[in-house]
Amino acid sequence: MDLVDLIAEKYFLGQEFLTWLWFKSDERGGTVFVPGMGDIILVYEKHLLLESGEGESHEKLICRGLQSELQEARTGLAMGKKVEQARIHLVKGDYEYHLTLRGSMLDFSAVKLPKTMAGSEESNDPEAVEGRLLDRLGLYEDLVRIIDELFRMFLAIRVSPEWEGEVAAIRAWIHKAAA
Amino acid sequence: MGLLSSSASFVRYAVEGELPENFWEFAAERIAAFSFRDIDDSYEERSVGWVSVLNMFDSAFEYASYAAGDTIVLTLRIDERKISSAALKKFAAKEEERIKKERQVPKLARNHRVEIKENMKLMLTKRAVPIPAVYDLSWNLSEGTVFFFSTNKKAQEVVEEYFKETFGLHLILQIPYLTAGHLVDEQGQEQLANLTPSIFV
Repeated sequence: MDLVDLIAEKYFLGQEFLTWLWFKSDERGGTVFVPGMGDIILVYEKHLLLESGEGESHEKLICRGLQSELQEARTGLAMGKKVEQARIHLVKGDYEYHLTLRGSMLDFSAVKLPKTMAGSEESNDPEAVEGRLLDRLGLYEDLVRIIDELFRMFLAIRVSPEWEGEVAAIRAWIHKAAA
Repeated sequence: MGLLSSSASFVRYAVEGELPENFWEFAAERIAAFSFRDIDDSYEERSVGWVSVLNMFDSAFEYASYAAGDTIVLTLRIDERKISSAALKKFAAKEEERIKKERQVPKLARNHRVEIKENMKLMLTKRAVPIPAVYDLSWNLSEGTVFFFSTNKKAQEVVEEYFKETFGLHLILQIPYLTAGHLVDEQGQEQLANLTPSIFV
């Protein structure tokens, strides 16, 4: 199967991951336990895009709000929509990230990295530049690693018999939140 | 919106293919051969090539090396002379009118009109200023992964092609399904292939 067909056939995988991740973080008040990493803070904020259907029955719902509980987005879930794009605030230890993840492609946009010492050095000598580059690259790679670990957690349940129980829990969460 | 800016967007690629033995020598030679060539003083329509992430005018990497640890950091620069289709249409119509009047004919043959349009396109291309666009890329050699700092599909197509031309290696866009394939065991991969969407309501 080529890439275009794979994207079309399996686009739901990333959307289900983002929907599950919202449930997971909400379940523990904005904290997710990641094996090998410990607790991380993960909050859906500001901007959410939900989608349902394909072709002519395709529907989109965009919700924005700084401190909102994203109530309409929750109602959207109850209508059968899934999360296609989410603005996420993520904190691991001293490092704080902001990023937007897109479900269908799992690409990263508007990523804001944690502030570090190296970031404030503006010297342009080759060593300082290399240091700055390595510093930023390390932060990007850490971020990708965290998202991969979360995705791994999702996949482990998604391909196991436990998924049925997880779907039931997600359903209960959606109905409780939308009520 | 690049690697060094305060806010960035990126996609992930896996690099497919074997690295040559003397990799750094090979990389130096290939990056030099495929570095950016300026077209400000020529009439070329388009130029694509590698420059330093620090400075889009540095295609010789004098100010900063492309090597940072075991990562190669490059910027893909694309300069293009763009012509607005409305401008092309206007100039072609104007020229057609001029010729019809001069020859006192009511209509021009189709191939003549095509020729006029081609000539006008050439004339406008020569007049147009090349518009630059830059996209950063980091290539982690030990992991065989590339971050490309743009979610623009056209830019992704250009980098996929140009990376292949430069290094003879393929970039495979890591969509969720392919990323998932690296994160589950063999049994999980089989189950992954058979997954269908779940309904949450």
